[in-house]
Amino acid sequence: MLSPSPLLNIEGLNVAYRVAGQDLPVLREISLEVLPGQTVGLVGESGSGKSTLALTVMRQLAANGVVTGGRVEFDGKGLLELTENEMRVVWGRELAFVPQNPATALNPAMRVGEQLAEALRLYGAGRAAAEARSRELLEQVRLAEPRRVARSYPHQLSGGMQQRVMIALALSGQPRLLVLDEPTTALDVTTEASVLDLLREQVGQRESSVLYVTHNLGVVATLSDRVAVLYAGELAEDAPTEDLFRQPLHPYTRGLLDSVPRLGQRKEQRPLQGIPGQVPRLRDFPNACVFAPRCPLAIELCWKERPLLDAPTPERRVRCHRWPEIMAGEVSAHRGEVKPIQRAKQEVRRVLNVEDLKVDYPLPSPFLQTLVCKSPRAVHAVREVSVGVSSGQTLGVVGESGSGKSSLARSVIGLAERSSGRVELLGIELPARLSRRSREMLSHLQMVFQNPEEALNPYLTVAESLTRPLIRLRGLSTNEARQQVPDLLAAVRLPADYAQRFPGQLSGGEKQRVAIARAFASGPELLLADEPVSALDVSVQANILNLLAELQVERQTAMLLIAHDIAVVGYLADQIVVMYLGEFMQVSPAEAIFDAPYHPYTEALLSSVPPPDPFVEQKKIRLEGELPSAIDLPGGCPFHTRCPRFLGDICAQQTPPWRETGDGKRIFCHIPVEELVQAQEPVLRFDGKRRTQR
Amino acid sequence: MSKQFALILVFGLLLAACGPAAATPAAGETPAAGEPASMEPQGTLRVAFQPLVQTDPALISSDSEILVANSVYDYLVDIDPVSNQPIPRLATGWDVSDDGLIYSFTLAEGVTFHDGSPFSAADVVWTFDRLRDPAAEYATSTLYENIASVEATGELEVTFTLTAPNAFFLYDLSDNHALVIKDGTEDATDFNGTGPFTVVDYSPEDRISLEANPDYFVEGQPGLANVEIIFFSDETAMVDALKGGQVDLVMRMSTPLFESLQGVDGIVTVDIPTNGFDLVRLRADRAPGSDPRVIQAMKLATEREAIWQLVQQGYGAVGNDSPIGPLYTAYYDPNVQPPARDVEAARALLAEAGYADGLDLTLHVPNTGGRPDLAAVLQQQWAEAGINIEISVEPEEVYFGENGWLEVDLGITNWGSRPYPQFYLDTMLVSGAVWNESHWSDAEFDALANTAGTTLDENERSQAYAQIQQILVERGPVIIAYYFPQFAGISDQFIGFQLEAFAGRTDLHTIHVAP
Amino acid sequence: MRGQRFFACAARLFRHPMHAVGTLVFVMFLFMAILGSLLAPYEANEQIVADARQGPSFVHWFGVDHLGRDVFSRVVLGTADIFALAGTGTLLAVAIGTSLGLLSGYRGGWFDEILMRFFDSLLAMPAMLLALMLLGTLGPSRRSVFLVIVVVYIPIVARVVRSVVLSVKTRAYVEAARVQGESPARILFREILPAVLPTLAVEAALRFSYAIFLASSLGFLGVGVQPPSPDWGLMVNEARDSVSQTPWALYFPAGAISLLVISVNLLADGLKQAFQVEIEY
Repeated sequence: MLSPSPLLNIEGLNVAYRVAGQDLPVLREISLEVLPGQTVGLVGESGSGKSTLALTVMRQLAANGVVTGGRVEFDGKGLLELTENEMRVVWGRELAFVPQNPATALNPAMRVGEQLAEALRLYGAGRAAAEARSRELLEQVRLAEPRRVARSYPHQLSGGMQQRVMIALALSGQPRLLVLDEPTTALDVTTEASVLDLLREQVGQRESSVLYVTHNLGVVATLSDRVAVLYAGELAEDAPTEDLFRQPLHPYTRGLLDSVPRLGQRKEQRPLQGIPGQVPRLRDFPNACVFAPRCPLAIELCWKERPLLDAPTPERRVRCHRWPEIMAGEVSAHRGEVKPIQRAKQEVRRVLNVEDLKVDYPLPSPFLQTLVCKSPRAVHAVREVSVGVSSGQTLGVVGESGSGKSSLARSVIGLAERSSGRVELLGIELPARLSRRSREMLSHLQMVFQNPEEALNPYLTVAESLTRPLIRLRGLSTNEARQQVPDLLAAVRLPADYAQRFPGQLSGGEKQRVAIARAFASGPELLLADEPVSALDVSVQANILNLLAELQVERQTAMLLIAHDIAVVGYLADQIVVMYLGEFMQVSPAEAIFDAPYHPYTEALLSSVPPPDPFVEQKKIRLEGELPSAIDLPGGCPFHTRCPRFLGDICAQQTPPWRETGDGKRIFCHIPVEELVQAQEPVLRFDGKRRTQR
Repeated sequence: MSKQFALILVFGLLLAACGPAAATPAAGETPAAGEPASMEPQGTLRVAFQPLVQTDPALISSDSEILVANSVYDYLVDIDPVSNQPIPRLATGWDVSDDGLIYSFTLAEGVTFHDGSPFSAADVVWTFDRLRDPAAEYATSTLYENIASVEATGELEVTFTLTAPNAFFLYDLSDNHALVIKDGTEDATDFNGTGPFTVVDYSPEDRISLEANPDYFVEGQPGLANVEIIFFSDETAMVDALKGGQVDLVMRMSTPLFESLQGVDGIVTVDIPTNGFDLVRLRADRAPGSDPRVIQAMKLATEREAIWQLVQQGYGAVGNDSPIGPLYTAYYDPNVQPPARDVEAARALLAEAGYADGLDLTLHVPNTGGRPDLAAVLQQQWAEAGINIEISVEPEEVYFGENGWLEVDLGITNWGSRPYPQFYLDTMLVSGAVWNESHWSDAEFDALANTAGTTLDENERSQAYAQIQQILVERGPVIIAYYFPQFAGISDQFIGFQLEAFAGRTDLHTIHVAP
Repeated sequence: MRGQRFFACAARLFRHPMHAVGTLVFVMFLFMAILGSLLAPYEANEQIVADARQGPSFVHWFGVDHLGRDVFSRVVLGTADIFALAGTGTLLAVAIGTSLGLLSGYRGGWFDEILMRFFDSLLAMPAMLLALMLLGTLGPSRRSVFLVIVVVYIPIVARVVRSVVLSVKTRAYVEAARVQGESPARILFREILPAVLPTLAVEAALRFSYAIFLASSLGFLGVGVQPPSPDWGLMVNEARDSVSQTPWALYFPAGAISLLVISVNLLADGLKQAFQVEIEY
């Protein structure tokens, strides 16, 4: 590569973990450069080795991690050769690290300000200077009330605030390279957006270099100059961001891009094309292309010979035998196997009807309060919402954590008891308590859970798990139920011999397939899916989403889809509800959700999601402050404390009206639709140029 | 003739030292005889013993309390440890009327109390009137019920008049509490006695220091210039102190501790048999004990020598089922012996009694001393004869509580050593006796016991005791396998030590520093 | 398949040398408990008067106590006793404690509240104090010691099980079972209990070791198993007075108690690790 000389230069790095006396290789021959002032995104699914790479650079490998070959040079010096003592000078001042979970990185017993000042004193500042500078840093990371924050202990801060403190801490030593390992993954989108803004701004000011590790293609598209794609411990592709998104040369990169729903992408128009199979967990690197088993373009050569890391242009590198054909457009790694998934026929019959549903979780009240008959305080999770779903239709519920979206689903299925309101299934009212519901009601209402690792009883075989709903809800005998298992497995595209496996022998995606098969086993009229893909890798996520959509069409099942990812909901749902603090902010047809006018919250939400496409222009709207407490709710419009279009007293004091828009939306806002139409422009616009934020 | 005895039983280790009547004959080794004539008292003897609780002679009960009292005060009459016969102390001699009702004592001359005041007959009258005052409820009140009056019949002469003859009256006068105090004493804890030692210092937490009484009325006594009684609450610590040379004398200890003193340089060990024993008794008033063949079978199944060897390690003496032990040399008949062990005969007897398939009983045992061991050995020995016992080891307060020990069929009770044997017969074995725990009633035995307790003819008494031993061996519902030993260890720097069965009655004033 | 997992689990017990030693010593004691009467050269209470107080020799490996009983035979024969007493006591405590813990954790509400406050009040007392109080009421006997072990350990087991249940019952597969209309019994025993078992096995092993300790301590204090049975604690108590004369009669049973307790603790530790790997798998 041409000058300037790289700040960080990784060459032929091999890393392994020593487990039970054996070396399990994690990284093979990784070569990567980060130039001064450059931001390099490191993308990969779980098991790709991306975190290991970050930790190796930081010299923070786990105790059983060993570098088995290669070099890591920082500013021309070999990092791996430095002693622990020499590293102390490098850490903080040359290299700084921001981990995924700030809660474990901050000292819980020390005030935030002291931690910052301590770091600063370590870098040579005097006591007074350190204190002043730490306050300054807290201001720079956009923490409101930096004085108060400085006096707080980490647990008194929200996740987003903690991550800002971590960034302040990382910046305190004026490092030349910042290594970030999924710093926003645990945060809500609106918070994530402002943290990313902050990072971009701070890095831009200081001209620091950044190595940004993430699985989120949207984040790299937004933030990085270059993107390196890791797969199963190998560097698959490394290219400038625009090039990579415009024309990926590695079939894996193509697969990833096709797996992620774009904002506005819909199943019936452009279905997601997932990558079949799993990221392999290698005991040994094969003398072949590691991606060959999942590659649509794999030829014999790919199985016999490991491709070299080629440089198709001076700026790009790719490890694939067939990149010349791909580059020339002779072959395409785009699968296109999944055909558009048709929407169900309109309005067959109303399956679910929810009226004025309210869910409160009473807080344990102190004994004395009970004594004086004070009514117990409660978390108001869902506040009198009404909604319905028809057969074959999908209602998507979007919201950040604390919005009450899960409580809505759980109260419908009976895992949480509603405090008031009606829930009707096929016109029959469902009792609030699960144990009061008849077998028939139960069989019509099933659920797919978020975490596939916990969705299946690890002590039962797949067959045992699948037969239970048949026996219990459809009244089959054990034998009859067993005979159905192969069909159920086939429906979720799993081979029949999986019946005798234990969940421990399945991958995450396979577990979720079994969980879906189980949910469909009793022939439900309504399926609740609570974040069904959020715990899965992107390549698997697409397959599961498509599976859900296909099964739904096949069986004309109604679906209530809960997700924090508006792209996922937008892909699958027919109707979308946006929730905030237990209330609906906006109800709209899925197609219309990305078009103005929006509810101001929806607008902010859309503006916060980093689109996995560098050519989408996105308007920048950020929410200030923190989510109010669900115990003492704000009066008037629940969103008024953070609303960028806050009108004044009316928002704080009066419940807003529901306003109808021309394109079928209903918006819960004091601002008249006409004014919204005037004030708002589309948040997202595709113009073929690299994204800028307006 | 009637007589009254104190009906006081001694329970277990904790209380073993209690009891008004003690001081049995003792035939222990004396490290060296000989009285160095009119030597000045010299040397200090350090004695390890349990702390004092009571210091009023009327209230004392533990060994250490009595040891101190016996050193600071004097008895009117003492009991010779070897011959077990009454000997003079403050009384130099006595006359008994023919009807056995009037006892006149001549008192020693030139005796003074530690405060310098002279001793006279009035002090004796005051002392005994105090001890026998029924309103005071002293332990001696019942013991001395039999005394009609105590009178000073001269400056140094006292006359006791009894309501009925009492062959053992002189022994009663030597009761542990019968220490003479000064006429009109208001605080009987003032240590103002006539005895061989005076109290120099008493710190209840630590020790009591005694000094030779220079005016002691017995020539050549005491031999020691100073005595320190140092308080210990733990037997093992006492023995360790003796081994380490921190103390010179330890009395009363467990057999293993005594064994550990054997062969230690500079320490002379002394052991004597006492008449205390563990009584194995079977209730005779109901089945199965109501059939005399059952107790006979038990006696046949018991190997007393082995029990003695195992439980007492051969210390003390082997028992013969009678409370009249070999220590009462005047009464003990060595020819009366229980039958040799015969398991087959025992089985046969049991079969006759209807227990051919074995006899199942629960043996109740207090959890102190060697009694659980005794039970374990008996269980083994009897099992061979088909007597299957289940052992119930109980804390003493459970065993003796609510008179349970008087109710159970089969039990083991510990009885302390007494100066004369009549006590056991009258309280334990005659029909209707208060502590007749075996509920035995035997007319022939009752008559003999009455004769022995009332006759003034020593020969007649001896004969009655001999017959009683014979009856008990043949059919008494009791088994006595051994008599307890008493132990002491003393530094070889001292001579003249004569251990008593009741350790507290051991005389410190006869001990000298070895020349 | 399940058998394989069992063997894999058992094999992991032997990976760490300390766990292997603990397991082997435990198995040795187990054999002694089962084959005791074949191994012991004498009967527990057989009195060899002539050999009383003899030290260890080829005839009497562990010596003879003050009543002429062979200490080796008594230690060996006492093994079965301690296993029967502590083992069955622990089993019953675990069975009852598990049921109560499952119910309390799953049902929650006032039942849980009352039960846990009650158990707290029991746990606020040192186990030994509680044991002595109970024995004071029941009177000393084998049966009482058994009951004491059961009563003392039920709250502990119940608390441990409850805490696991609380974390397991919110797992998706348990909720899925509820949504499928499974009966509470099936949810408790098929869905929740298996997840509790690894913790429970470790807890049971630990309880067993404490039960041995408790039974021996009570024997030693003379309020437990009654003489002349060859209970180890009781043997230590009986030999205590004559420790200067027959130290072997004290040290061998005391050593047996420590060895067994340590081996069970090591076993528990090993089980914990073996299960942990199993869970991660």
